[in-house]
Amino acid sequence: MKLTTKQLTLCAVLTALALALSYVENFLPLFLVIPLPGIKLGLANIVTVFALYALGPTQALLILIARCSLGAVFAGNLNALLFSLLGGLSAMVTMIFLSRWSRLSIYGVSMGGAAAHNCGQVAAALISLGNTAPLAYLPVLLTVSLFTGALTGYLSSLLFRALGHTNLMKQ
Amino acid sequence: MKSSVKLTPTRWDALVAAVILLLALVCGGGYWVHTLSAGDVLTAVVSVDGRATDRVSLNALSGTETRSYSNNGYTVSVAFSAGAVRVVESDCPNQDCVHTGAVSGAGRSIVCLPARISIQLTGSAVSGGPDVIIG
Amino acid sequence: MKRVFFCLAILALTVSLSGCGAGSNPTSGGGDQNATAEIFAMDTVMKLTACGEGGEEAVIAATSAIQKLDRALDRTDPNSEVSAINAEAGTAVAVSNQVLSLVRAALEYGSATGGAFDITVAPVMDAWGFTSEEKQVPSQETLHQLLPLVDSGLLSAGGGTVTLAEGQAMDLGGIAKGYASDCAEEALRQAGVADGVIWLGGNVYVQGSSPDGDPWQIGIQDPLGDDSFALLQLTDAYAITSGGYQRYFEQDGKTYHHIIDPATGYPADSGLISVTVVADANGPDRSPDGYCLPGSGTMCDAFSTALFVMGEALAIDFWRNGGYAFDMVLVTDDGRVLVTGGLAGNFQGNEALDYTYEVIR
Repeated sequence: MKLTTKQLTLCAVLTALALALSYVENFLPLFLVIPLPGIKLGLANIVTVFALYALGPTQALLILIARCSLGAVFAGNLNALLFSLLGGLSAMVTMIFLSRWSRLSIYGVSMGGAAAHNCGQVAAALISLGNTAPLAYLPVLLTVSLFTGALTGYLSSLLFRALGHTNLMKQ
Repeated sequence: MKSSVKLTPTRWDALVAAVILLLALVCGGGYWVHTLSAGDVLTAVVSVDGRATDRVSLNALSGTETRSYSNNGYTVSVAFSAGAVRVVESDCPNQDCVHTGAVSGAGRSIVCLPARISIQLTGSAVSGGPDVIIG
Repeated sequence: MKRVFFCLAILALTVSLSGCGAGSNPTSGGGDQNATAEIFAMDTVMKLTACGEGGEEAVIAATSAIQKLDRALDRTDPNSEVSAINAEAGTAVAVSNQVLSLVRAALEYGSATGGAFDITVAPVMDAWGFTSEEKQVPSQETLHQLLPLVDSGLLSAGGGTVTLAEGQAMDLGGIAKGYASDCAEEALRQAGVADGVIWLGGNVYVQGSSPDGDPWQIGIQDPLGDDSFALLQLTDAYAITSGGYQRYFEQDGKTYHHIIDPATGYPADSGLISVTVVADANGPDRSPDGYCLPGSGTMCDAFSTALFVMGEALAIDFWRNGGYAFDMVLVTDDGRVLVTGGLAGNFQGNEALDYTYEVIR
C-alpha cells in the first residue's frame, strides 16, 4: 500500500495531534469520578473518527497503531500499550462497521466507538489483573461512554465543518 | 477513500445510545446477581466505603486467586487462597495493609484506610474459634 | 435532535457523577436478630453489633454518637474542638462539657501512670510525621526543642475551658476510641440491649453473651504471626490492645513504631511488644446534660498505651499498687506472655505457639 507524500504528512500530523490530545486529557481528572486505573475521556478518538472518514480505515488504523505505540513509549509503561491498543482497536472495528450504516451520524458512530473503547479497556484490565473484578466497572463506563462519545462526535463534527471546504479532503 | 458523513444527530443515533445504556444495565444487573452468593464457610468479605462489594469463599479455592480493588485513588491487590487472605500490593502511602500479612482466622481483617477498603473473614473454618479478634 | 442529545449527555454525566459518594455510610443490616453497622471513624474500621430487642435503635444511636465525637476530637479537622484548642495554645478555649470531661480523664490517667500516657505529645508525633503521609526520623535538635512542650502539667482544664501553654498541642487519639466504646456501651444500655459487640479496630467492648449462650470469645492477635496467641472469655467487659506492630515505618533498616515515649520522644523501647488491658464495664453513666461519661473503655485505652511505654516491671507494679481495677496481658520481646491473676481463669493460651505463659498475682 503506497501513500502519497501528502497522505503521509497528513497521517503524521494526525498522529501528533492524537498524542497531544492523549497528553492533554490527563489533566482532566476523570479518575476522581471513576477510580479505575487508566480511565480517560478518550479525546484521541476524535482523530480516529476524523481519519476514518477523511482518509479511510487503512490509514486510520496506521495512525492508531502509531499513536498507541508512541504513547506507551512516552509514558514508559507497557501496560498502557495493552490498554490503549485494546481500547483503540475495539473502537476502530466498531466504528468501521457503524460508519457503513448511512443512517447514523458522526454522533452515533462516536458513541459506539467510545462504548467499544471502554469494553476494550475492561478486557485489557481483565487480562492484566487476571480476575473478574474489572467487570464491576463496565456498567458505569458504558454509561459514561454515551457522554464522551457525544463529546468526541461533536468536536469531530466541528473539525469536519472547518475542513470540509479545504483541499485537505481532496485526495 | 473518503466516505460522506452526517454531521447532525439522527434518531438512529438515539437507538445506538439506547442499546449502549441497555448493555450497561444488563452488565450491572448481572454483576449484582453474582455478588449475592452467600455461604457459611470461611468467607472473605471485601467492603469498599463500608459497603460489602465482594465475597470470596476461601474453602472453595484450590489455588490462589488475586483480585484488585480500586477506590479513592488507590489500588489494593488481594490474594485469596484456601484458608487465608493477604494484600499483595497497594499503592497507598502507609502500606499498613501489606504489613498485616496473611490473615486466616474468622473475625480477622485487613484494612487499607486511604482506599477505604477492608477485607474481613467471616464464618468459621474450625468451630469454637474467636467471635472477634483484637490487637 | 440536538436537544435530545444534550439531554442524554447531561443525564449520563449526572448518573456517573452521582456514583461518587465518598463517605462513611453505615450499612445497617439485620440478619438473625442482629443489628450491625460498619463505619470508618477515628482513623479505623468499626463494627457495631447489637442482638435482640432494641438492636437497631442502639446501633443507630451508637453510630451517630461516635461520628459526632470523631468530628469534635479529630485534630486534622480544622472545625473540631481539639483543633480550636490547638490553634489558640496560650489562651483559654471554651469547650463542650463532653470534651472537657474527656481531657480531665486523660490528665488523671496520665498523672496516675507517671506521664507514660500524655496527650500533649502531639508536637513530637508531628515531627515523626505520624499524622501525615510522610514519615521521617526527626533530628535530635528538633526533639530537644519539642520535648519541653510535652508536659501535661502545663495544661489546665476546668471552668468550661482548656488552656494549653504556647507551642503545645494535644492529640486525643490515644483515648478517643476507648471513650467511643464507652459511648457505645451507653447507647446499648439506653436501648435496653442485652447482648452486643462493639469492635473498634482492635479494641472491643462485649456485652452479655454470644448467640450460643456462652461468654464472648475474644482472640488477641499474635504480634509476630497471623494467629491469635490467646483467647479470652469475657462478658460485660472491655479489652484493648496496644502494640508497636500495629503501625510502623521502616527507614535505613530500622523499624519505628507509632507509640512514642513522652519522656524520650522516641518510639517506646520497653521490652514489651503487646499490651492488652481488660476491665469490667462500670455501668451506664450519663452526665446530667446527656452525654456519656468516660468510663472503663477510656481507662483501658489510656492504660494500654501507658503500660506499653512503662515496661514489664513498672506495669506490674502499677497493676498491684496503682489503685485501679483492671487486668492485663503483656507480651515481652523474649517470648513470655504474662497474665494477671484476675484474668487467668478466663484466659487460654495458644499452645501451638512458642510463648511461655505465666500468671502474675
